[in-house]
Amino acid sequence: MTELDTVIHAPARLRVVSTLAALRAGEEITFAKLQKLLDMTAGNLSTHLRKLEDAGYVRQTKEFAGRRPVTYLALTTDGRRAFEDYTTTLQDLLRGAGS
Amino acid sequence: MSTAPDSRSDHPLDPAASLDLIAESQRRVRRGTEPDCRLICLVWGIAWAVGYLVLWTSARALGVPGVVAYVVFGTLLAVAVVVTIVHSARRAAGTRGPGHRATVLWGATWFLAFGVYPFVIAGLGRAGASDDVTGLASNALACVIIGVMYLTGGASFGDRGLFVLGAWILLTGGVATMAGMPATYLVMATVGGGGFLAITVVWQVLHLRRRAGARR
Repeated sequence: MTELDTVIHAPARLRVVSTLAALRAGEEITFAKLQKLLDMTAGNLSTHLRKLEDAGYVRQTKEFAGRRPVTYLALTTDGRRAFEDYTTTLQDLLRGAGS
Repeated sequence: MSTAPDSRSDHPLDPAASLDLIAESQRRVRRGTEPDCRLICLVWGIAWAVGYLVLWTSARALGVPGVVAYVVFGTLLAVAVVVTIVHSARRAAGTRGPGHRATVLWGATWFLAFGVYPFVIAGLGRAGASDDVTGLASNALACVIIGVMYLTGGASFGDRGLFVLGAWILLTGGVATMAGMPATYLVMATVGGGGFLAITVVWQVLHLRRRAGARR
């Protein structure tokens, strides 16, 4: 496989996916914490999350903590697999370039 | 709020730059969600080194540590506990899941263990233990609790740093108990507190080296 997944292969989305992939399996992160870790604007992060959600890579769960709405985010199984395939492809490309 | 990273979002990177970006993102996640062992180790190192030196100095002068020495020691430990809890809770905030639940249960185990701790020490006193035995046992039991908690924490969360700390504390407890009174306090201050501070320095050097390596 040498084709890079175009959904992931954009710096902003790659940062989002690799951040979510660094969480333990089954772990979720709030939108606010993810925004802080990535240092992105809320609007920009929302746009990229929507693209990732449309691709089936990210799952959003909206809840209330008291009266405050909280959005939890996590990679789906497909998202985690896509990220693993993406990193494998990157490593293959690098090995190919080095040989 | 910075928007700097967003401006690059539409330009795909080459494979090496993409792998670097993945590594950097994952480092940021660890920094943002896991406690900084250097800070915790530094705070405990100062608390132990200063607190136990005060106990040792007081015990040498009076035979057993005086009330003021215990107050200083207790205050230092309380500050270390508060810093550890606040720092760990801040880092863990904003995430949830099986790992988070395990962390909460692990935290509760600390409270259970140290909730029972004074009863065990009081029980020894009621059974006729001398001041020396009570002093040695209270140190040894605290070291065993903290050591085993760090070891299990390190094993559960895959944190080598925490595991190393636990092993160090457990060993310190054994050596300090064998030293007897009041030398036990000196061992706790130097081997325990000094050990924490030495581990902090080692982690800081490794951290700076990794950061320099990542920049290259």
